[in-house]
Amino acid sequence: MADDLVRMAGIYKSYGPVMALDGVDFSVRENEIVGLLGDNGAGKSTLIKILSGTVSATRGDIFMRGKKVEIRNTTDAIALGIETIHQDSALVVQLSIARNLFLGREPLIGPAFLNRMDKRTMNEVAGKLLKEIGIKKDIPATTPVSSLSGGERQAVSIARALHFDSDLIVLDEPTNNLGVEETQGVMRFMRGARDSGHSLIFIAHNIHHVFQVVDRIVVLRRGKVVANDVDPKQTTIEAVEEIITGMPVG
Amino acid sequence: MNSTLKPSSTHPGSVLIQRLTSTPEFLPFTLVVVLTVVFAALTPHFLSRGNLSNLLAFTPELGMIALGMTVLMTSGEFDLSVGSVFGFTPVLMWTLFNEGVASLEVALMIALVVAVGIGFVNGWFVTRLKIPSFLVTLGMMMTIRGVALYTTSGFPQRTWRAESWLMDIVAGSFYIGEFRLYASIFWFIGFALLLGYVMTQSRVGNWIQAAGGNAVSARARGVRVAQTKTWLFMLTAFMAAYAGITSSIRVAAANPNSGTGYELEVIAMVVIGGTALAGGRGTILGTVLGVLMLRMMRNGIVLIGVPGLAYNIFIGVTILTMMALQSYLARRHPSGSG
Repeated sequence: MADDLVRMAGIYKSYGPVMALDGVDFSVRENEIVGLLGDNGAGKSTLIKILSGTVSATRGDIFMRGKKVEIRNTTDAIALGIETIHQDSALVVQLSIARNLFLGREPLIGPAFLNRMDKRTMNEVAGKLLKEIGIKKDIPATTPVSSLSGGERQAVSIARALHFDSDLIVLDEPTNNLGVEETQGVMRFMRGARDSGHSLIFIAHNIHHVFQVVDRIVVLRRGKVVANDVDPKQTTIEAVEEIITGMPVG
Repeated sequence: MNSTLKPSSTHPGSVLIQRLTSTPEFLPFTLVVVLTVVFAALTPHFLSRGNLSNLLAFTPELGMIALGMTVLMTSGEFDLSVGSVFGFTPVLMWTLFNEGVASLEVALMIALVVAVGIGFVNGWFVTRLKIPSFLVTLGMMMTIRGVALYTTSGFPQRTWRAESWLMDIVAGSFYIGEFRLYASIFWFIGFALLLGYVMTQSRVGNWIQAAGGNAVSARARGVRVAQTKTWLFMLTAFMAAYAGITSSIRVAAANPNSGTGYELEVIAMVVIGGTALAGGRGTILGTVLGVLMLRMMRNGIVLIGVPGLAYNIFIGVTILTMMALQSYLARRHPSGSG
């Protein structure tokens, strides 16, 4: 069995009197796609927000490759190689594809005091990445993101994660509002990312999508892990739905 | 994957036209050309040396405020206190000098530092206390104007007894033939080039646009949104102060009431130039054109005999028309940020 890339141990999170996470243990191994499932209010988003540095845990520890780490904000998470792709892509739609890809990590050229972006490199790399992730249409890297479809925007977010060689890519409902073909494109990117050495967490309400692509399923219910090692090849969608709801389906 | 990008025309001419019309500067540029032609046709005085010299004397002062406002508005904020800072800062500088507290050079430095401090307070209230910039800068506008009026009892400060190299550098004038040029035009061009570079070429420019376009996303990418906006409030106040000092030297008086109403005129110039009121997109070249356009309009309608009081009608109609056209063109051909 592969080693853990990330391990979250004994994670608690409360919002006032509401306990969103109640001692969650969760891990992702090297080179695997984990499907994180649960009904509304199960705690999936809170767990992911803690991992991506958006909120802090009330209690608990996070380990990267066995070493304890502190994730106080999104900058910490990115520095640790954790990239989160949200359902709304979290891109700046007014900026071009290239400027979005490199936002916060723009390469510079010339003397440091000029603070000058290396736009040629940015555009070249962005153009190459778009082709690598399978966008067949010849879209210039200077195109504003506002001109792109939902699937293309997700592709830009994924390209960003791949380019900066993030160890762990978290996809939070990435297929929401996407068409069938675009959804298949996102699935293809996920498999490609895993095959090139990345680990992924896939959160989706559509269990069919999860079953298509993940290696393992973790189910949360009311802030607790109720199933940790479900193999999608060894079970059925109905069985997983029963675990999610805690009630027999049908 | 499907693309929403419409197939572009293969005809090189139409591609060029599409590219040109998709830039936010296209409309203000067209209008500047149209206004020049129309006013020149209606009155020969419009393109006279004297009138152009006069036009270029006052334009840089509002223009410098507009440059700062452009960068701030691109980051998603705006500053209503610029008019008050424009009026207050020269009053402070000349009071310090006239009372013998400081030399003119030191007084200028103190006044600029105070202005930057005002910008910092604006930025702190907006970014730390999360109060909308409209409310914060409205409060600051009234406070600063009140201080300027109270400390001077409403009377202008005299400036004409000062003799310093500084006055020549900031707002001196010289003749090229019969054409009188003020130093302020060179400061305006210099600031425009510098901020144009920052906005289009620098990493900071990318952060400014990201902060205005999607602050949450920018923050998630490690962009220091709060610090960036605070610096921009300080920059805007600095530009307003410098413009105010320039004006006080040119007109030989520091009037505590000067700059009243400038904030809205400047915002109009910036928006007409193609900068988005909601943030995320800004253009320095567009602002320069917007400044020129509104100044030419004010100057031209007076020359052709339209009552000066009708100026606001022209401005209002122009803003509404420009907004409608900008919105139409933006929907048809979104422009990239290179």
